[in-house]
Amino acid sequence: MPLLEIKGLTTEVAGYKIINNLDFSVEANELRVLLGPNGAGKTTLIAMITGQFKPSAGKIYFDGRDITGWAPDEIFLAGISRKFQVPNMYETLSVYDNVMISLQGPRKVFRYMFKGVTRAENERIWEILDFVELAGKASDPADTLSHGERQWLEMGMLIASNPKLLLLDEPTTGMTEQGKQRTAQLIERIAKNHTVLLVEHDMQVVRRLGKKVTVLHQGQLLAEGPLAEVVENEMVKAVYLGKGRH
Amino acid sequence: MTINLAGGGSTPRKVRRARLIPIWALILGAFVLSLIGTSPHYIGSDSYVVGLIGKFLCFAIFALSIDLIWGFTGILSLGQAVYFGIGAYMVALSMKLNYTLENATRYGSNIPDFMEWNGLTEVPAFMAPLLSTPVAVALALAIPTLLAFIFGVITFKRHIYGVYCAVITLAEALILERFIVEYQAYTGGFNGITDYSNLRGAPFLWVIIAVTVVCLIGARALTHSRIGTVLKSIRDNDVRAEFMGYNVANYRIFVFCVSAFMAAGAGAMYAAWVGIVSFLDAGPMFSVEGVIWTAVGGRATLIGPFIGTFLVRGLEFVLSSSAWLSWLSEYWQFFMGALFIAVVLWIPDGIVGTIGNWLRKRGTGTLSQIRDDQDRLAHDRQRDWDPAGGTKPGKDPV
Repeated sequence: MPLLEIKGLTTEVAGYKIINNLDFSVEANELRVLLGPNGAGKTTLIAMITGQFKPSAGKIYFDGRDITGWAPDEIFLAGISRKFQVPNMYETLSVYDNVMISLQGPRKVFRYMFKGVTRAENERIWEILDFVELAGKASDPADTLSHGERQWLEMGMLIASNPKLLLLDEPTTGMTEQGKQRTAQLIERIAKNHTVLLVEHDMQVVRRLGKKVTVLHQGQLLAEGPLAEVVENEMVKAVYLGKGRH
Repeated sequence: MTINLAGGGSTPRKVRRARLIPIWALILGAFVLSLIGTSPHYIGSDSYVVGLIGKFLCFAIFALSIDLIWGFTGILSLGQAVYFGIGAYMVALSMKLNYTLENATRYGSNIPDFMEWNGLTEVPAFMAPLLSTPVAVALALAIPTLLAFIFGVITFKRHIYGVYCAVITLAEALILERFIVEYQAYTGGFNGITDYSNLRGAPFLWVIIAVTVVCLIGARALTHSRIGTVLKSIRDNDVRAEFMGYNVANYRIFVFCVSAFMAAGAGAMYAAWVGIVSFLDAGPMFSVEGVIWTAVGGRATLIGPFIGTFLVRGLEFVLSSSAWLSWLSEYWQFFMGALFIAVVLWIPDGIVGTIGNWLRKRGTGTLSQIRDDQDRLAHDRQRDWDPAGGTKPGKDPV
């Protein structure tokens, strides 16, 4: 049984179907790459899975449960963490606090009253800061970081939350070639024992990861399979090179 | 199963973090508060200035309650005076009822004069519990907190915040103000509640100081704890917090209730100390004044609301009591508006916030700047290292 299963998902905004009757699933411990031209519905799909928008039709199952229509915080607690397309964090908090707030643990108001950071939590935070190479800036406010560092901090926050499924929306945007390679390496390490759904534009990164890809086009599933096969697919070529179909 | 981070041998280091109560704050605070507390002895117990100091402390706690929701959680309330006002009216009513039991009105009845004027012959049954002081104090604290809870549930649970929330709180203050004026048989209407034996002098001033200390330490513990970090994270980015599993509405409701409780306490002490409560103390104008004091002193700092309140109210007092400048006090509201605009334009972090920024900048000015730069250089060199062995970027069919 797949970890994430989407059945007949449709999102309609003002009569335009952004996602159109999509069936899609991700197995546990899989690293899946989501491809597609602009407007294919990749980010919308992630917004649907995390409860930001409610679908017009269809169902989303996660870990054996129907999570369609749940609130974002409930979906997080079910085990899905999301990295936003534009790095999204707590700007005035320190790098350390950004990770601390994201740690797996209680989220209820009264469980949190006047509680400090335990020794184990502190060690875990430093471990994560080392992992994303931000230990040297632990006390700095997040808004002083560079764009690439912000991308890494948000990944660190996701790691801290220890989810069953990580949704990474274009984590390499705005990075240098080296930064992209290192991010790919980071994703590979995360994917060793976690399920990852990655939206990625950079083909160098996708090729390096060498995993199963899913191509979306106009809200529908266009092709699925290993990258080498998908690249040879006539329809995929048509969509990307702009021949036929239109 | 947690994500396995290779390396393993990382040693936990310390992060720069202020103490719960810094020593200098403890010494300075104890000094200032004992100076205030002993003021009746050297200024004179009945002095107008001593009266002002107690009043300003109540106002400062009120400003602190605004700071908790505005500065730390990002909820701008323009109706915080509602909670202050209800707290004040409960205590004022209680003191007035007790006062008239012993001191009959001009026409010989033992009910408050405003009730008498409005044709009531006895205290309404629903007000009778207020005759007991403990009950009155409990109600003064409980009713505003409960009201804040109800308000929070109907707004924050529906994802109403920001400007819309500010407008709703403003309406809340307008409604309460109208209510007080309309139901004058029970509230004293335009005249407010006055002529009761209020508590003056050193003993009650010490009570106000004690409550101030409790509020300050409580607010510090709250904002310093993990829940405080969550509140700040909601202020910075409520969407991210929501997608990190926090029920943002519940946190907002919680802090709104704490803030209302604090404002109600300030209002209750204010009524007991000053001896007059009017509809103005529950209205929008007073709410906005509290916001201005907080902004002037410094949002998201705990001492800021105190400095802001004492500066602005102190300035008002100096202006109105000076023979040369008293004509200016007629235009006080105009000054307040101008001051608020000036603060927003030039020192958006307020007095305390601006000084804090300046100190921080100076702290990393010379030696530590060089050290930071070296760290950064080493960091960047490490970042340039390419573990993949350099894949050449090339053209891609997909």
